[in-house]
Amino acid sequence: MSSRAINRGLDVLTWLVLAIMLAPIFWLVASSLQTDGQLATGAMNLFKPTFHAFGQMWKSVDFERYLINSLIICTVAAATATAFASFAGYAIARYQFRGSRAVSLGVIGTQLIPGSMFLLPTFLGFIWLKQNTPVNLYDTRLGMILVYTAFFTPVAIYFMRYFFAAIPRDLEEAAMVDGCSRFGAFLRIVLPAAAPGLLATFVYAFLFAWDELLFVASLTQHNAETIPIGIRNFIGNYQERTAQLMAAGVVSTLPVLIAFFATQRWLVKGITAGAVKG
Amino acid sequence: MSQTLEPAPEATRLRDSLPRRRPPRRSAARSRTRLAYWLIAPAVTFMVLVHLLPTIGGIVLSFKRLNTFTFARLFDAPWAGLENYRSILFDSSNPLHDGFFGAVQNTAVYTFWTVGLTLVGGLAVALLLNRPMKGIRIVRTLMLTPWIVPSFVVAILWQFMWQSDVGIVNKVLVDYTGILNDRPIWLLGHNTIWAIIIPSVWRGLPFAMLIFLAGLQAMPQELHEAAAIDGAGPFKRFRYITLPLLRPLIAVQLLFGVIYSTYQFSIPYVMFGNNPGPDADLMMTLIVRQSFSNNLFGFGAAASTLLILIMGIWVFVWYRIFKRDLEVT
Repeated sequence: MSSRAINRGLDVLTWLVLAIMLAPIFWLVASSLQTDGQLATGAMNLFKPTFHAFGQMWKSVDFERYLINSLIICTVAAATATAFASFAGYAIARYQFRGSRAVSLGVIGTQLIPGSMFLLPTFLGFIWLKQNTPVNLYDTRLGMILVYTAFFTPVAIYFMRYFFAAIPRDLEEAAMVDGCSRFGAFLRIVLPAAAPGLLATFVYAFLFAWDELLFVASLTQHNAETIPIGIRNFIGNYQERTAQLMAAGVVSTLPVLIAFFATQRWLVKGITAGAVKG
Repeated sequence: MSQTLEPAPEATRLRDSLPRRRPPRRSAARSRTRLAYWLIAPAVTFMVLVHLLPTIGGIVLSFKRLNTFTFARLFDAPWAGLENYRSILFDSSNPLHDGFFGAVQNTAVYTFWTVGLTLVGGLAVALLLNRPMKGIRIVRTLMLTPWIVPSFVVAILWQFMWQSDVGIVNKVLVDYTGILNDRPIWLLGHNTIWAIIIPSVWRGLPFAMLIFLAGLQAMPQELHEAAAIDGAGPFKRFRYITLPLLRPLIAVQLLFGVIYSTYQFSIPYVMFGNNPGPDADLMMTLIVRQSFSNNLFGFGAAASTLLILIMGIWVFVWYRIFKRDLEVT
């Protein structure tokens, strides 16, 4: 076989693999554009799409409440985690200080702990706070924001380190010669230079927060429930309404999909820089 | 607030004025260190409050008899010594005993296949996408899409696709292509573990692909060219050049892949509900069910502690195997 033929064959294989990987997503969208009855009997008609299921889903599960909770909790938590991580990541990337190794190890160490390990004490802690102090974190957005901020700060630190390491030191030294304080140089010179990194870190933390289910399932009851809980409740109550469920799936994927494609240039750089440089 | 404990205003002013009077070098080093501590303070505070302290609390709870009857006492529940551990590990009359070892076994199977297929598949697709081709940039970006789909959406989507009668998987396998004669039942019995492995691989593969692709593109081409001149075919070059150079990337992905797979919760929980059944019950679904549905919190804490120990052993083994690769990078 000529190498030309092999190359054409591999091209075809590449497109085939892509088609297989995207097929389930196509199926998600196609199913959401059918009616519940069509999906139950398998009599789908892909050429007659309808947005009927979207409207029904919106009403039957009060989807808006879950969506708003998810948007608020994930946005604030991801932003706070990114802010904390930019501080800590900068300190670790730039300064040698006692305990910096311990912090770096701790960042990785947090990933070793199963969620179930600290979910229970966090739950008990929330209950205790509610019973003994005026601080109420159980089933509140604030409680979820605090937990998620802590959750995604370590991985955000991991991310930010590489973006800071890529910024030349001369930049802030020049600013300090010009009379900037150390912190001022960080705030006014380094952070703006790391803006793409901040954005990528924010989106990465947001993706993870959007996906979190274990903690929100146990630490909320009604007020602060997010989309994954809404989906669980929907399955519990209307299992046979598959088109609506698929519609809910489409709506809950859209925000992260948009965020990803809007920032994928920097996001991919952040993910791969961390991996390739060790 | 007790204002008497506040430092006198003079002292504050004095301390502030100190750096200016000192020789500039020493104060620069000190102010640098002080700034570093201020910068890491928020992150460390949160990690201590939400990771470290609750983890210690969880280990303490694993030695307590915390159940429906003692729950109101929270952390003051009576001590149970090693009872939680003993009954899980050795008491075969305890229903949790079988459940625990069943879940350990399922989790091991799930992790082995999920991580194995994700890494092998991710590397294969990365090799495929590392070739020059028309539209390759679009293909690379679109290939990442499954990774963006949230786990809970992955679970509901595949649950629908796995349906025996109307699901698209059986339609393709049986009706359209005739690969199988009988419709397999995916969501009940022995196949359930595959019903969660395959969607997990589907979602994880693009991420592995992305990392491997970055590694392949960072690879120096001279080695491959030199080997090709010496007569090494593509398979030999892959085996003796590409694969060894990718070892550090494989190591890191293996480490985190095993950890994340072992802690998988969302996909089985959303696909099968509270109890995925004996063939797909993973460690996390078991622990959460026993803790929060059956109120056996002491059991959950003990099982979580055992899980950390298992992961500790894994990290140790991993470190012994890949020590050399870490030193290189």
